[in-house]
Amino acid sequence: MKKQVTLLKEFTKGLWEINPTFKQILGTCPTLAVTVSVINGIAMALATTFVLVFSSLIISLVRKLIPNQVRIAAYIVIIASFVTIVDLVMKAQFQDLSKALGPFIPLIVVNCIILGRAEAFASKNGPLRSVLDALGNGVGFFIALVIMGGIREVLGSRTFLGYQVLPNGFEPWLIMILPAGAFIVFGLLMGFSNMYVERKKNLEREALIAQYRRVGREEITDDVLKEAGV
Amino acid sequence: MTDTQTLIEPKQKVYFDLTTSPHLHSKWSTSKVMWFVVAALIPSIIAAITFFGWMQIFIIITAVVFAVGTEAAIQSIRKKKVTWFDGSAALTGLLLALTLPPNFSLSATAIGSVVAIGLGKQIFGGLGYNIFNPALVGRAFLQAAFPVQITTWVKPNFAVDSVTSATPLAAFKFDKIFTDTVPMAIGNVGGSLGETSAIAVLVGGILLIAVGIVNWRIPLSMIIGMFLFGGLFWFINPQNPSPVFHIFAGSFLFGAMFMATDWVTSPITNKGMWIFGLGISLVLVVIRIYGGLPEGVMYSILFMNGFVPLINRYTKPTIFGVVKEEKK
Amino acid sequence: MKQVAHIIATLTLIGVIAGGSLSLVNNWAAPKIALNQKAETECAIYLVHLDGKRYEEIKNAGFEVYKVFNEADSSVGYSLVYSGNGFQGKIKLMIGLTEDLNKTTSIEVLEQSETPGLGTKILEPPYKDQYNGLVTTPSIKLVKGVEPSNPYEVQSITGATISSRAVVTIVNEGIAKLRAVENKGASK
Repeated sequence: MKKQVTLLKEFTKGLWEINPTFKQILGTCPTLAVTVSVINGIAMALATTFVLVFSSLIISLVRKLIPNQVRIAAYIVIIASFVTIVDLVMKAQFQDLSKALGPFIPLIVVNCIILGRAEAFASKNGPLRSVLDALGNGVGFFIALVIMGGIREVLGSRTFLGYQVLPNGFEPWLIMILPAGAFIVFGLLMGFSNMYVERKKNLEREALIAQYRRVGREEITDDVLKEAGV
Repeated sequence: MTDTQTLIEPKQKVYFDLTTSPHLHSKWSTSKVMWFVVAALIPSIIAAITFFGWMQIFIIITAVVFAVGTEAAIQSIRKKKVTWFDGSAALTGLLLALTLPPNFSLSATAIGSVVAIGLGKQIFGGLGYNIFNPALVGRAFLQAAFPVQITTWVKPNFAVDSVTSATPLAAFKFDKIFTDTVPMAIGNVGGSLGETSAIAVLVGGILLIAVGIVNWRIPLSMIIGMFLFGGLFWFINPQNPSPVFHIFAGSFLFGAMFMATDWVTSPITNKGMWIFGLGISLVLVVIRIYGGLPEGVMYSILFMNGFVPLINRYTKPTIFGVVKEEKK
Repeated sequence: MKQVAHIIATLTLIGVIAGGSLSLVNNWAAPKIALNQKAETECAIYLVHLDGKRYEEIKNAGFEVYKVFNEADSSVGYSLVYSGNGFQGKIKLMIGLTEDLNKTTSIEVLEQSETPGLGTKILEPPYKDQYNGLVTTPSIKLVKGVEPSNPYEVQSITGATISSRAVVTIVNEGIAKLRAVENKGASK
């Protein structure tokens, strides 16, 4: 039996622990392509979160009715329906955003975050947990896109959400709104997040070793440390 | 704390100095080589100052200071031995500065240096681990970040009426005007600081070849490649520039002598060097004739840099002295 | 056999539900989308003919072109949609032309994927405004580095010669095409 996690944890794990962009490295295509500005990132993340939450909900509701052999096909149809709804609504109501995001709204269908959560979580858990998990992942995706979009927009066009934040004397780095800039920012962010995790792990490890020393435990092997989870 | 360390020390804290092959002994130490290359660039620096004014020295100083500073900063953050004095960072900064246009903004120069050392070199683990030529990485970043400033040229100091500020390659690309070879050889044309004077580049380059720092195969194969591929396109359509124009225009010679021959990012086998040099020339000719940009030395060298591990593997010499296993 | 039936039934059911809900949404969205698109074209047509009040599509031209009329219902010229290759991708222009096709009224860029901050300067006034009242005979010419000395000359954007030239080429080609069509008498 797997450990029962709290409902809150179901939500918060998506924010950082299994952040879809920086930890699962899923959905990198829209991450790299649309983050030329913060508003694009926000719109993309909201659209994805909408699809993610509703498809997770439906999939977890009908998970016991769908035969195992055709589950992926069924998931894709459900996901594609929600994506089409989002696409139509955006075209009708938010034409400018829909234009800016271009083909990346229809492409949410094949965004691995959604199918990934459907297959890994919603198909095995109840509706409440699935929705929380989807929301957490959606918010995690949102955070990642806003950070990426923020860095790229500030350096690439001197603005944040359209408001100028850097003085005119600052020559905008065009590379940041080109694809190359997306890769550089993404790589650096991932590198720094890994560095942070590594440092934290080392600190925990050292603290544990110190604790073992205090209680007078002699043998501290890698296996012992592994068991303690650090 | 000290107790803890002694406890885990045998398991964790054993460090070896790991370097990539080949492990050769040589009279040349890294820093000696680096400073020698810097010395070989002095003619180009003098040419740059002669043709574009003494102000250009500030670009060079900025680039070098920021390159060395970034190297020292990153190494101390990563708690590695600080090796700013070995000259490799200074050389990267100097090479970067010489590929920039005259009167280039100093703040942008500084950004270029930081990127060259940070993204081009230290992120891979420092000297010897980088795939791409750091100075060119810095310049490629600047080219993408500030495309207008980096293609804004100035007239050289001794310009006669017929000399414009446009580089010979831009003049060819956009207006189909060919510049004479003589001003291009001397350096009295528009262009980047170090690239315009072919003679100054050749003096430094030949010096490096003579003392054995630069392997002659790479520059020679690039020149031969230029005659082959550039000549081919010229033969097909005389509207295309001749191989001689290709060689003297832009930063071809500068790239051949100082950029492509970087020890870290060029092949280690003789055969590999030929493939590398010919490849650069082929890519370059295609970029110059069909590309959107007038010049392509930087991109063609970076492109071929990416192939170096593959070239090295493909041209690995046969190991002699191993007896084939007999079939039983 | 029972399992196969189950599979078919499930997938059919999902398909039917999905299709049904989508058609509902589409019923609501389709008119709005059509309206949006029409408004957009209309907006661009009148942007290049500020005095336009009514327009008529010229059919059978092989490309999008509209004849524009003013308040007094007399023709003020043409709005021509034409595209061609830019530096990195397609550039789509709305070109405003006078009745005799000898002058442009102005141009509007509908779609482009030029280098941001460099090629995208074709969207901005110093370059774009050159097309306000530009003479198109014999053809528009691009000049570099010097001020235009003839009424049919356009000054290139520094550092973005290719994008500047692309716009000139597209406008010239579009006008040539339209001249051919109009001489054939597809319309008056």
